[in-house]
Amino acid sequence: MDTRQGLIVLLAFNEEECIGSTVAELREALPEFDVLVVDDGSRDATAQRARDCGARVLSHPFNLGVAAGEASGLLFASRNGYEHVIRMDGDGQHDPASVPALREALQSGVELVIGSRFAGVTSFRSTWLRRFGNQFLAGLLSTLSNHRITDPTSGFRGFGPQAIRFFARVHPHDYPEPESVLMAARQGFAIAEVPVRMRPRLTGTSSLTPWKSAFYMAKVSFALLMERVRPV
Amino acid sequence: MLRSSLIGVAFAAAFAFSVLWSARGRRTSERHTFAWLLVAVAIAGLSLWRQGIDALATAMGIYYAPSALFFIALTCLMWLVYRLSLQVADQRQQLKRLAQEVALLTSAEAERAARAQPRPEVVSSAVAARRDSHAV
Repeated sequence: MDTRQGLIVLLAFNEEECIGSTVAELREALPEFDVLVVDDGSRDATAQRARDCGARVLSHPFNLGVAAGEASGLLFASRNGYEHVIRMDGDGQHDPASVPALREALQSGVELVIGSRFAGVTSFRSTWLRRFGNQFLAGLLSTLSNHRITDPTSGFRGFGPQAIRFFARVHPHDYPEPESVLMAARQGFAIAEVPVRMRPRLTGTSSLTPWKSAFYMAKVSFALLMERVRPV
Repeated sequence: MLRSSLIGVAFAAAFAFSVLWSARGRRTSERHTFAWLLVAVAIAGLSLWRQGIDALATAMGIYYAPSALFFIALTCLMWLVYRLSLQVADQRQQLKRLAQEVALLTSAEAERAARAQPRPEVVSSAVAARRDSHAV
């Protein structure tokens, strides 16, 4: 298997309106990376738009969720010999200008690098409830993993070669962002956070409500505690 | 035979018939069929052996015999449902993995087919549109 440098994995579900521009922007700004769009069972032309703009496309036959989408991207990277994977969202909220910082961390030997919205860059604004939820989860995850984590739910992150192979084989079921941090910490992988900039979404709206946020926080806390007591 | 015993036996027989009918149509697996038939036999047995419930309750230290029956029935049902939830979780994992393998194979096949045709260049207009949307 030949070793390729870097792969950007874009998770997309019904993003036909903006996936093309996101892929095109990434290919222009970061030509050294291959771009893979994981189309998670979209019912629109997401896959075709991405392919037209030069991305490689992995289409799930039906919607499997974010965790499975990330796992598919890492499985693809592992099978095709990629050294680094940067995971981003297909809606264009993650700014390509932040990718070099993530890549630098990976090149310095870090296996899991988290793009943090709260580590120094003030581009991201959210409600007080979401801030409280984030701080609670950040505290819990930092305690359980022995690493200072400020943004436990960030989907903008990078994986090194060991992490790619590990998470292609074993991957969290439901909440990949915080759970994988704890799994990586328990594997002894080097973990780092770098500040990243978030942009407003081009299309669609957030489906989170206060009740959903509170329930999410409870479920993630439970999942983290379960992960902590599993055998390594 | 008491009327309640008759009702119990008739219910057990109807349940066993339904289970066997489903098995005949290959709608249930043999091990599940066997487990449900055992349940039907237990219902029929307790319906015919009237003192059986009292004996069970005494053995369990329960004063009110029907409570013992409810406890046993609920325990059996919970165990069955729990087993089923474990199987659902296993099958969910297998289904997810299968879908991922299908996606990987389909992608490889599409890329092989596309190699014969030139890949289109980056769509400049799409990049421009993206920049415009974030311009202040």
